[in-house]
Amino acid sequence: MITMMSMPAPPDGVLPETAPKMRVENLNVYYGKLQAIKNASLRVPKNRVTALIGPSGCGKSTFVRALNRMHDLNPSVRVEGVVTLDDEDIYAPGVDPVAVRHRIGMVFQRPNPFPKSIFDNVVYGLRIHGARGRRHLMELAERSLRHAALWDEVKDRLNHSALELSGGQQQRLCIARVVAVEPEVIVMDEPASALDPIATSKIEDLIGELKKDYTVVIVTHSMQQAARISDYTAFFLMGDLIETGKTRDIFFKPTDKRTEDYITGRYG
Amino acid sequence: MAAAAASFHVRSAGAVRRRAVNALMTGALWAAALSILVLLAFFVGYILYLGAPAISWHFLTAPPSEVDAGGGIGPEIFNSFYILILTLFFTTPIAMAGGIYLQEYARPGLFTSAVQFCAESLATVPSIVMGLFGLLVFVTMLHWKVTALGGALTLTLLNLPALMRVTQEALASVPDAFREGSMALGATQWQTIRRVVLPSAIAPLTTGIVLIAGRIFGETAALIFTAGVSVSTGRSAYDFGLFHQAETLSVHLWYTHSESLVPDAARVGNGSALVLLVMVLIFNLSARFIGLGLSRRFMGK
Repeated sequence: MITMMSMPAPPDGVLPETAPKMRVENLNVYYGKLQAIKNASLRVPKNRVTALIGPSGCGKSTFVRALNRMHDLNPSVRVEGVVTLDDEDIYAPGVDPVAVRHRIGMVFQRPNPFPKSIFDNVVYGLRIHGARGRRHLMELAERSLRHAALWDEVKDRLNHSALELSGGQQQRLCIARVVAVEPEVIVMDEPASALDPIATSKIEDLIGELKKDYTVVIVTHSMQQAARISDYTAFFLMGDLIETGKTRDIFFKPTDKRTEDYITGRYG
Repeated sequence: MAAAAASFHVRSAGAVRRRAVNALMTGALWAAALSILVLLAFFVGYILYLGAPAISWHFLTAPPSEVDAGGGIGPEIFNSFYILILTLFFTTPIAMAGGIYLQEYARPGLFTSAVQFCAESLATVPSIVMGLFGLLVFVTMLHWKVTALGGALTLTLLNLPALMRVTQEALASVPDAFREGSMALGATQWQTIRRVVLPSAIAPLTTGIVLIAGRIFGETAALIFTAGVSVSTGRSAYDFGLFHQAETLSVHLWYTHSESLVPDAARVGNGSALVLLVMVLIFNLSARFIGLGLSRRFMGK
């Protein structure tokens, strides 16, 4: 495996290297007896976008769900290995998974706004964590919605149901909802796969903005998307993390034959 | 015949037969559905025909009579609602808590299976058996005699499993994506249930509770031995005494038809049946409308 820290100095136009925000070491995930992730290790650099690519069923969604302990919700899933956030193991005994998820937010494949008003959706996480006061919440909601590039489209109907929004708007609302609780890492599991091209490009622009303040990990089945928005890329195949590196290296000079085959379209 | 041009016309014997069977089955299923409608219309119409002449303000408000003609059903109507409210008061919190536990918290295991099995067994107990159980426990063992409270508690036992099942099904109808979305924001499981899952399930939950309320309202066998076949005489129609006898409308209907001495028993029975039927229909209709209204409100349509 190529570690990012050992890579040569980046060429022009590539962002400087940053310290890892998260580290994954020897991660194994099992669904019952089926092993979905095999001994994967990855560094997630701070304030960068790391894309996970690979064919359907390769384990990339399973991998990211291990990053914020979402697998805890399913008793038939077993996770082994070390996942750190700022060098602290989030799977260590005594760690509260609720606190982990507060610091590592997640956006899902299908937009999943709650059947509540737009406003109640955005401030949901804030209320959970004890924020009160209509005016205070209103300010935070506006900030988050602006951050998610949704404010202008919804400012006049904040008390309408979130389910009235289009799919793309719903997904940006879900991003605003995550941004509102100010996590350190935002994990996105194919956030644009259910959206049309225009909504997709809005989400992509937004991800470029988000990395100023957050560390982003995004699962995508679109190599073009990975190439457009990510700084680093990890390639998964059948539960194995085959290769990781700077996105341009993965795309232009992959070291593993299987990566090259996938990039050039020889896998489905 | 040109192969391409003939494609929309059925030719082969097999295709003709398949179409005939299809038409036949469609017709049979339609007829079955229609017969349900006709049966209900006939049933309601007949009860209306028999019961309508008995209905008057006096009949709906006056106390029943033991010997003479001209008795009413005022206290019975009151008792039906009183026992219904008591029963829901006991049933709803326990059943909802149990349903929430089984659906949201319980992990597969011996305890979960045991609770499920007990609930299912309890659900199959015939109401007359539950009535005898109530007689043993509340009337005899606890020396309460025949009381409104004993009746309500017997109905609680009878309806607990159904309401627990309603809760489970209502919660199961909430997409996991809502739970995940909430948990991924750092919410605890209870916060997720209270703020996302329960509000999302409010429509099926309310519909289910109102439907069960209709069932409680019409329950008879379990009440004959526990809440009694008479109203406390000499009092007003509105008797809130938990430890007084409290004959409900449905029990009164059974009583007038089987044991009553009054000369106009048939009239009183038919009138009671009509009132009971209308009440239960109101419960069912309002369940639909409440459910529809709530889901509109929460789903933003």
